[in-house]
Amino acid sequence: MQPKLTTGGQALCTPDHSTTGAAEETSIRQLLAHGKSKTALDRAKDLHKALGSAASEALLIDAYAGRIQALLDQNLALEAKSLIDLVRSRYPSAKTRLDALKATSAARAGALDELLAPLADPGLGAEHRAAIEQAVQNKVADLAAIAACPALPADHSLRIAAAALDRAFVAATSGLVTDEEIALPEVSHRSPLGSWKLLVRAIAHFYRGEDDPCRECLGAIKPESVPARLIPAMHSMLDMKPAAPLTAAEAALVSRATESSAALRNELEKLDRAFADDEDEGRTFKLVRLAMQECRRILPDQVETLKRLIYVRGSMNAVDEERMIAALQGPPRQDAAFFRALAHGMEATGADEDLAMACEYWDEFRQRAVREGWFGAKGVEVATLYSHMAGLLRRIPDDELRDLQRESRSNRKLGIEDSYFLFPEKLYERASVLDPHPEGFSQWLSWAEQDSAQRGEDVAKAWHKIRPMDIEPLLYLLQAAERRNAFPSALTYLDKAERIDAVHSVVRASRLRLLAGSALRHLEQKKPHLAAEKLKAIAALPQSKQGDRPAFMAALGYVIALDRADDRAMDEARAEAIRLLGNDIAAGLLVCGISAAAKRRPVELPPVKSLSRAEQSALPAQIARLVALAKDVGIKKFHLPLPHLQEAARQFPRASGSLDIGQLRTLAETALAMGDDEFAYAASGEGLSRGGETEARFLVLRARCLPERQGTRHAICAAAAAELARPHRDMETVGEAVDLVRRALDSEPFTVTLDQAREVVQKEIAASDYPDGSTRGPDYSTLLPNQLCNCPKCRRARGETPTPFDDLDFDDDYLDDEKMEKIFTERVPEGMPPELAQMLFEVLKEGYRNGLSPDEILEELEDMGGLGGSFREKGKKGKRK
Amino acid sequence: MTDPREVLGVSSSAGEEEIRAAYLRKVKEYPPDQAPEEFEKVRNAFETLRDPRKRALAMLHASDPGAPLASVVDGRVPRRLFVGPQPWREVLKAK
Repeated sequence: MQPKLTTGGQALCTPDHSTTGAAEETSIRQLLAHGKSKTALDRAKDLHKALGSAASEALLIDAYAGRIQALLDQNLALEAKSLIDLVRSRYPSAKTRLDALKATSAARAGALDELLAPLADPGLGAEHRAAIEQAVQNKVADLAAIAACPALPADHSLRIAAAALDRAFVAATSGLVTDEEIALPEVSHRSPLGSWKLLVRAIAHFYRGEDDPCRECLGAIKPESVPARLIPAMHSMLDMKPAAPLTAAEAALVSRATESSAALRNELEKLDRAFADDEDEGRTFKLVRLAMQECRRILPDQVETLKRLIYVRGSMNAVDEERMIAALQGPPRQDAAFFRALAHGMEATGADEDLAMACEYWDEFRQRAVREGWFGAKGVEVATLYSHMAGLLRRIPDDELRDLQRESRSNRKLGIEDSYFLFPEKLYERASVLDPHPEGFSQWLSWAEQDSAQRGEDVAKAWHKIRPMDIEPLLYLLQAAERRNAFPSALTYLDKAERIDAVHSVVRASRLRLLAGSALRHLEQKKPHLAAEKLKAIAALPQSKQGDRPAFMAALGYVIALDRADDRAMDEARAEAIRLLGNDIAAGLLVCGISAAAKRRPVELPPVKSLSRAEQSALPAQIARLVALAKDVGIKKFHLPLPHLQEAARQFPRASGSLDIGQLRTLAETALAMGDDEFAYAASGEGLSRGGETEARFLVLRARCLPERQGTRHAICAAAAAELARPHRDMETVGEAVDLVRRALDSEPFTVTLDQAREVVQKEIAASDYPDGSTRGPDYSTLLPNQLCNCPKCRRARGETPTPFDDLDFDDDYLDDEKMEKIFTERVPEGMPPELAQMLFEVLKEGYRNGLSPDEILEELEDMGGLGGSFREKGKKGKRK
Repeated sequence: MTDPREVLGVSSSAGEEEIRAAYLRKVKEYPPDQAPEEFEKVRNAFETLRDPRKRALAMLHASDPGAPLASVVDGRVPRRLFVGPQPWREVLKAK
């Protein structure tokens, strides 16, 4: 009879048994692999029934094993046990294999006796022993039960190890343990309980605060073992941030074994907000008490730090000190850290009194820090602190600082040395003694020179004495002496500076300038022989041969010869100057300028009118050349005759095309210096039209030469100049321009964009005529920011001409017609036709009666065409303060 | 201002050798090609601690009065409480 194979009642008809069996086996194993153990077992039974081979029996046992494992996984331990017993009885060959499953089943069912009993058998097979030990390692969580298991003899190593581990586990989770208590020699590393040993040690390290060893122990625990179940919770407690979501039991453990700082954080954030919002003090102190209470509970080691922080914050907010100390339950410890924090807090408020207070606290900090061993009493740290304190005092206005110094000294009856921390010079002096560093001296010098020139020189001398090889103090002393016309001293300092750094740019530029200045000074003192010596020294310098400098020497020689009444030398010098400059007009002007600088008798020049047309038109270029030469050799008071300058201004429109950028700039600056704004305006306009990098400089010159009434235009030109100079890193022009804007707008910040700056340049080039009373100038209404206030006060501050209505305060008491007419008559612009004035007055009066605002009245007047540029410039509709 | 000692992980009493060793450790931890920003911080901290004046300035500015009060909690390990074996066993038995 043909065997009948069925699967789930369905017959499998195939003529070739071996082929069919192999295919069916593959199919069954696939079912097992996919966890379909029940179907797999049914089909394995059918196959074994049909084939009855060793292979089919092996497959059947595998299917049984899969089914038993599935039952165990579903916690159906009893069903699994019954099936194991059945299979063992039917298939003795599967005994060893099933022992492992039986051990797992017993472990799962908590039947420790059954699980462990085979271990008492000395003849237990290695495979079975390994299966039991694996089950113990991975499934048994009850150490006490192992320790007390009656199936094993009392002296069995597993019982002894479990008992020792259980004791250590209880000890480690209940209090601090010693290394001996967790040494656990009873537990070998090969024991199935080996991971427990690591867990007990991890817990002990955790409570000791030894987090790294704790992590190491956790890392060594076998991941499949029972102790590994605690790893996520312990990592969560160590890192204080949840990794994977914790189970209920894990979360409960984390919550009980560690105290969360969330409540403290919450209290502190509330307190931060209370300080920031300057809330009611009562509520603030309540929050302080709550925060301190929580901190004492959660972070007792941070109590002192928090006290200090809160106290300082309270001081910055000027809260009641006594109440604060009461809320903190005692003052903070007054150590160096406290005074440092307090000093910082006072610095942060920026108030003058607080800055002085900060210096006092810094001094306390210094004393305590030295006592506490932070640093030595005479080291660089103290010097740095002194410099820092001096820097703080420099932020206090001079008058205020003097008051504070006086007040502090009289209140405490202290001498200057005792209250040195309020005196910048004392602090800088002490800092420089302790740490004679160039930076410290530089700060001291910067402070001293602001105080007075003499003090600056004193500091520079002190610096030079202590650090004779530093060039900075020598250059400072050189320039200070030069300013005082003390040329011999300046030359002495220059000698020293040349020995230190002969190629320093300032040093190299100084000798010619100092010798020239010295020569002029000797002439002024009527000592032409000494001036002649200096001229000889100038002639010996290689740099004297450059550019127009030989012409300067010739002209200087002429003035010296004139003083000595040496006609021959005069003729020679004059001829040389004419040869070098190319014409006698330029030579004469140069001699004239040098003579004026030396305060000698005026040199007569031919009248301007007697000059030929060509000579007249050459004047702008010649004057530019001579002024540039005078600047080059450092002549400060180089004055040229006014008629020649005026003629140069007249000739400028015709000559401007032939002048280079440098000449245009020199002429604009010269014109400004002599007060000829119109000439400066024309020169700056020509300079602007040339474009290039010097646009910014010419825009500054344009701003400076504008009439006062065009204050807004002045500010816009300066702001545009600053913007144009920035990309070229021309910081001198940027500084000057920003300063002009600040002064024009009374410190109001005002900037334009680069595109707007270019637009300003174009408009200024187009505005070729100097603005007189009837000229409005370019329309900058689109550039005017809303922040430019248009009230009369601000407009006056910007140098603009007010309108006759500006001072009428419409919010004042009621104005009757008479009062109004009186005010109007006082302010009506000069030259306004009486009919127009009357018309304006009527409009103003009616507007006032109708309750119009001043701006509305002015707008109405503008609509009528009644207001020209002299009243109100277009576009100035900024908000009124 | 970040405390350079905190960046290098050295105590306030650390000497030059200790600072240098900490710096080399940190450079290995944050090589410039792999962690340029961290390396920059480490480098700046080392430069600050090497220069006595910069070091002194850093010491003066180490406290920040405007820092949030809650900063005392940052990085602090909360107290660990002994709760006996039971809560621990609950986790072990739970799986």
